[in-house]
Amino acid sequence: MPRLHSTDSQTPDAAIPRGNLLRRLSESIEHAAHLLPAQGPITVFIHHNTLHAFEHRPFHEAVNQAAQIFGCHPYLPKAQYREALQSGRIRFDELKQVLKRDLGQRADEPIACFGSRFDLYLAMLQDPLRSGPAEELLWFVAETDALRRVRPEVSAAVRSRLIAETRRWTMRDLRGGGEAESRHPPEIRNSPGTLTSLRELLSRFGEATIESWSDETWECFTLQALWRVCCDGVRDLPSLSPPPATAVRHRDWLLQATGEDGDLLVNALLIRFTAAFLDQGVAQAAMPLRKEGFYRAFSSIYGQPLGSPERWLRGLPAELRRIEAERLSPLESVLDSLEQLGVHADEWDEFLSATLLALRGWGGMLRQIETHSDRVVVPVPSGSLVEFLAIRLLLDRLATAHVAHTAMRFEGCLGELRDTIRRRSGCPRPPSVEERAFLVFQLAQVLGLSPDALHRLQPGEWAEVMREIETFGSLERRRIFHLAYEQRLATAALDAISIYSPQHKSPAPLPAFQVVCCLDEREESFRRHLEEVSPQVETFGAAGFFGLAMYYRGANEAHFRPLCPITVRPRHRVVEDVTPGDEVDGELRAKTRRLLGMATHRLHRGSRSVGSGTLLAGGVGVLATFPLVARILFPRLAARIRKTLGRVVQPPRNTRLRLERRADDSAPENGHAGFTVEEMTDAAERLLHDIGLTADFARLLLLVGHGSNSLNNPYNSAYNCGACGGSAGGPNARAMAAVLNDPRVRAALNARGLELPQRTVAVGAYHNTCNETVTFFDLDEIPSSHRAEFEQAQRAIEAVCDRNAHERCRRFMSAPLTLTFAEAREHVEERAEDLAQTRPELGHATNALTIIGRRERTRGLFLDRRAFLASYDPTRDDAECTVLVRVLQAVFPVCAGINLEYYFSKVDNFGFGSGSKLPHNLAAMLGVMDGAASDLRTGLPWQMVEIHEPVRSLFIIETRPEDMLTIIDRCEGIGRMCRNGWVQLAVLHPETQRVSVFRGGVFEPYEVQAETLPRATSSVDWYRGCRDHLEFCQVANGAEPARRFEPSSPRSQTVGAADA
Amino acid sequence: MSNVGQMLFLLGLLVVGSPLLMTCVSGISSLVGYRLSEETTTRLGFWAVVCGLLASVAILLIMLVGGSRHVAIELGHWAEIPHLYHFSVKFVFDRLSVPFVILSFVLSGTIGAFASRYMHREPGFNRFFSLYSIFVLGMVVAALAGTIETLFAGWELVGLSSALLVSFYQERSAPPRNGLWIWTVYRVSDAALLLAAVVMHHLIGEGDLGLLLGSGVWPEEYPKLASDEALLVGLLLLVAAAGKSGLVPFSGWLPRAMEGPTPSSAVFYGALSVHLGAFLLLRVSPLLELSTSLSAAVVILGLVTAIFAHFVGSVQTDIKSALSFASLTQVGVIVAEIGLGFHYLPLIHLLGHACLRTLQFVRAPSLLQDYGTLENAIGKLPDVGERHVRPTGMGRFRIWLYRWSLERGLLDSLLREYVASPFVRVLRACDRMERRWTDLLSGRGPQERDRVQPHFGEIEELT
Repeated sequence: MPRLHSTDSQTPDAAIPRGNLLRRLSESIEHAAHLLPAQGPITVFIHHNTLHAFEHRPFHEAVNQAAQIFGCHPYLPKAQYREALQSGRIRFDELKQVLKRDLGQRADEPIACFGSRFDLYLAMLQDPLRSGPAEELLWFVAETDALRRVRPEVSAAVRSRLIAETRRWTMRDLRGGGEAESRHPPEIRNSPGTLTSLRELLSRFGEATIESWSDETWECFTLQALWRVCCDGVRDLPSLSPPPATAVRHRDWLLQATGEDGDLLVNALLIRFTAAFLDQGVAQAAMPLRKEGFYRAFSSIYGQPLGSPERWLRGLPAELRRIEAERLSPLESVLDSLEQLGVHADEWDEFLSATLLALRGWGGMLRQIETHSDRVVVPVPSGSLVEFLAIRLLLDRLATAHVAHTAMRFEGCLGELRDTIRRRSGCPRPPSVEERAFLVFQLAQVLGLSPDALHRLQPGEWAEVMREIETFGSLERRRIFHLAYEQRLATAALDAISIYSPQHKSPAPLPAFQVVCCLDEREESFRRHLEEVSPQVETFGAAGFFGLAMYYRGANEAHFRPLCPITVRPRHRVVEDVTPGDEVDGELRAKTRRLLGMATHRLHRGSRSVGSGTLLAGGVGVLATFPLVARILFPRLAARIRKTLGRVVQPPRNTRLRLERRADDSAPENGHAGFTVEEMTDAAERLLHDIGLTADFARLLLLVGHGSNSLNNPYNSAYNCGACGGSAGGPNARAMAAVLNDPRVRAALNARGLELPQRTVAVGAYHNTCNETVTFFDLDEIPSSHRAEFEQAQRAIEAVCDRNAHERCRRFMSAPLTLTFAEAREHVEERAEDLAQTRPELGHATNALTIIGRRERTRGLFLDRRAFLASYDPTRDDAECTVLVRVLQAVFPVCAGINLEYYFSKVDNFGFGSGSKLPHNLAAMLGVMDGAASDLRTGLPWQMVEIHEPVRSLFIIETRPEDMLTIIDRCEGIGRMCRNGWVQLAVLHPETQRVSVFRGGVFEPYEVQAETLPRATSSVDWYRGCRDHLEFCQVANGAEPARRFEPSSPRSQTVGAADA
Repeated sequence: MSNVGQMLFLLGLLVVGSPLLMTCVSGISSLVGYRLSEETTTRLGFWAVVCGLLASVAILLIMLVGGSRHVAIELGHWAEIPHLYHFSVKFVFDRLSVPFVILSFVLSGTIGAFASRYMHREPGFNRFFSLYSIFVLGMVVAALAGTIETLFAGWELVGLSSALLVSFYQERSAPPRNGLWIWTVYRVSDAALLLAAVVMHHLIGEGDLGLLLGSGVWPEEYPKLASDEALLVGLLLLVAAAGKSGLVPFSGWLPRAMEGPTPSSAVFYGALSVHLGAFLLLRVSPLLELSTSLSAAVVILGLVTAIFAHFVGSVQTDIKSALSFASLTQVGVIVAEIGLGFHYLPLIHLLGHACLRTLQFVRAPSLLQDYGTLENAIGKLPDVGERHVRPTGMGRFRIWLYRWSLERGLLDSLLREYVASPFVRVLRACDRMERRWTDLLSGRGPQERDRVQPHFGEIEELT
């Protein structure tokens, strides 16, 4: 075995005082910890930018850097972009436009005989450029048609030109030996090797019969000659691009050198231990000594004798004892390990990041729980991540020593291991001749460059060509493709808005009722259908917590849960109470629930133990067949039976929210119990100002929160309302309705100049986006004068649910396209109850736009459930855009977070996302693993992002460009995301209706590309029979088709006037 | 042959034939590269299972009405060396095999329906259902086997499909690695079964289980073997059963089998496959009565497994491992019951347990919601969180026990270190000798191919 302890070598770090060294080390760890996934427990899934740690850098730089650090893909695979190019999803002229814009001045510079840089790059984009290791390429050219047939992508014209030119050149220059040489310019003579080789080729093909060669022979000869010229051309070129990043950790070096992976050993043990340490109640026996922290618990548990017989772990107890004897703190132990591994302070950042990222899911979860201990039942002490790292490095040392010993017979001290391997393996290999030649070979065919043309290149020109090709590498090409991919959608959206929005549809003078939904893009279709079903409705979009940030506990719930965006910490607690009169009944039901719950719990635990398990399985086990068969074969029926039975123990229907603060409020550290009237008024005023609803109130105002509920789905929380911290937002809507109905609040609002008339009644509701039902709260509060109107609205919403279910069903491949409205509703109900359903709903998939402005600008526009719609009225905002700033500060993190999480989970579902849901296994109640021992998988599963198009969200904000620029300058968070391109940004001028696009720090006017918008009589008419993403269109009965907006036309002037 | 006899024969053929047909259709279509649609595959699986199930229920009814307790369907000798060797295929319907085959059909049918929706749009959909049909066929054949050769055929099909289903996600490295581990354990168990077959042939001249177990109808059979002969055959069968059912010391494969998609882990390792060993012991249970030491061995192995699985299961922190060890606990108890000489008790226990566990496995992803509901009903769950242990005396032992359980009894480590590693070392030594020998013969140094680094990939676009 190698020595574990280095003989105290003179490291450069030795001069620095130990205290400083430790401080420096904890900074390094802090830096590394920022790279860990920031996903918390899966029960409160909050969407966030996967690469949040990189937001201070421009998007493309950041994703490329992250790609290297995490080993993940920053864009889709090229094959998919190319498919998109085939299908028209990427337009060729837009690809050219994007490339030209990206190259700028450099586009037209000539590159040897390859035309301009633009031409070369475009050729590299247009057709696949294949590559592989030298051995494989040699096999490829020898065994396949590569040297017999021109690539199939090459057009017939280019192909015949290529062959004809080669033919002429061969006949003229190559044939007949000596005299040809003199005809070449003198400088070519320094490559006689190529000519000799070509002549040899010629004679092999039968020079004598050259006149009678068939077309195939010529084609074959052309390609062979081309291949030889390419090989000779690139043969002596030096390495042009920087060498690929070298391995960092000892394990990486060993893996490269021997193929043995030390992490397999370490991870298996560490996963088990970390999961047990973090467990929130899966295991029946909790870890002993957990309170002492990760480091101490590990020492005590693994320091005992009679441990693992595995060879690599044999030194563990002794090492743990040494650490204990030397009384090393976790941080000192990290330092100790680093010293033993020979890692100097200047590579700490990189080394520690790589070490932590080796088990990023579990490390990240540890980090999340130590920093947000209020989110879990069983918290862990802070500093746990450092302790985890200390143990990780200790195990890494043992595993490295073991692997080095067994696979390399390495016996020296670990600090010298990396140098030893570096010496043994030699310097990194530059790309081989074949690899480079093959690239040129393929491009020459596409561009129709004959062997003659290439043969005439100077060595310097070869270097230039090679440098260009290598500069425009795989990632760069994917970036350009991606830009074109985004461009198409942006053009479509901006065209739709530019053409549509000037046709200001003023709402009915006094709408019959008004509906405030969440700004969620899933509510886009809900609102659209509602407006189609009852044209006299007016809808609004607000962040789904309706301005009431609170901890909430329902009548049948055990814990308070925060209902507000993750950035806000609620200061109020709200409880749902059973109404007086039903209290006895409620108490009884709660007791029954408790008894039943205890029994279920016993049953659950019992089935896993020896004795009661035997009784259960032997006694009543066979009965389990009934629920099993029923729930799998008839999910909807089974659910109905279950609900009927469950009704017995549900709390009584009549409940009230305890909203108002009572006198005995004495625990302000957990938030006040309820709101004061003034606080309620503040919240109400803020909400109404945000959505621009300060006048023209209808008699009925519906507030609709949303959430989702589906069975067998660990990701359930991710489908809930993002603005409610991954919970269902029904209580917020209910509470806000109660606030708005409060006469004291109305009086206070009145005093502040916001007149909410007596005739307006607010009703809260909850929209379940999975099974498509809407539940209304506190119906007994509705005065009889408003009954009829309410019932009418309720009927409209019921019809909307059917239609919305129908529109959603077009995306489910297992739902036939022929469904009727009612069948579609049944279908989505079944999906929610089906144990076998991995896609109960599609969540935020396909989201691509965020539109902030008046609904009139988009009302009647079919946005295909792809747009977050926040209401904001620029005409009712002040000069400083106070309201807009407030709205943006709530909308930006939520919408951009959702969008970017979907983006990254889609482009690399295995790396950034969590892979397929099918083998997922719930671990420690905190997350999912693949199988029984893998890293905790963070991000979104494949089933959620399957139909998503990864594009950065395009924010379209109804405001003046100059105001937006001020906001970008003033608000750091918003400005950073816009400037660094994490979102795309455009503004719609409130008066002129002109769209401007934010590019390179300024707003440029947008040129409308399309002439008209397609038109459909209804949404159904437009989407029926289609599964794919649809174009944006205008949904209107008999209205004029929208046309390109001409500012000079009198019609639009009146619009502008009306607005101003 | 009487009418009833003929009908039973046809029904029996249907029971075996319908999964066979399903296997052939899905297998052959995959082989010739014709991709069946999800709908066709689902329908095929559904009808095959329903036909098989109805036929076996019909046989049960006929047997109940007719009073017959033993129906044998012989498909003749497939190979025969007179007086030395018969290879015959024979299926037996009796009080043991009929309930087990019905259970197999019910569970695999339900899980088939589950999987057809769960695996929707999964690229490996067809592969999954090919393996699924092989598995169902294997279960049915093994359940009904009347000769040890037939049993072995079914046994092998189950093993093969299980190992391939564990390594279903081939693009990651862990599933194939774990699949290989399971395959290795299964091979050990297969070897034991094969040896048992050889010994049986040696003792009684053929592989008919009926002959081995003597006259009578299960469970009232009276084998004519001597006690030490029974011990020898019995111990070999016990090793075979231990491998298949994950009894100590092979238990480590059970959590590894969770790499596959949820339905396969549910039905195969949680419910059906894991009971196959117990079923084998039940089938040969009359043999156990001949030898007290054999019975004792079975009881001890069963109890040790149950206790082991209980401790290990109580510290597992992921739901599928926890359930699989809970399964193992019950399998251990069932095996102990068999060893104690019970017949119907373990059978009922087995049936009930398989159904209960399948339901739990299928609902495993719901754990979060279930816990949420429970918490809402009864407040903070008991026994979550802290457990105070002082690291002295008894506390030390408890800590040790915890570590031992967390490391799954160190069984895998022991197997790897003391069985697998020496084995690999011996083989590597042989390999080195062979290389030296070939180098000597060819008169060259180490061969060229040893120096080329393998490259896994193809000529493709750099992505």
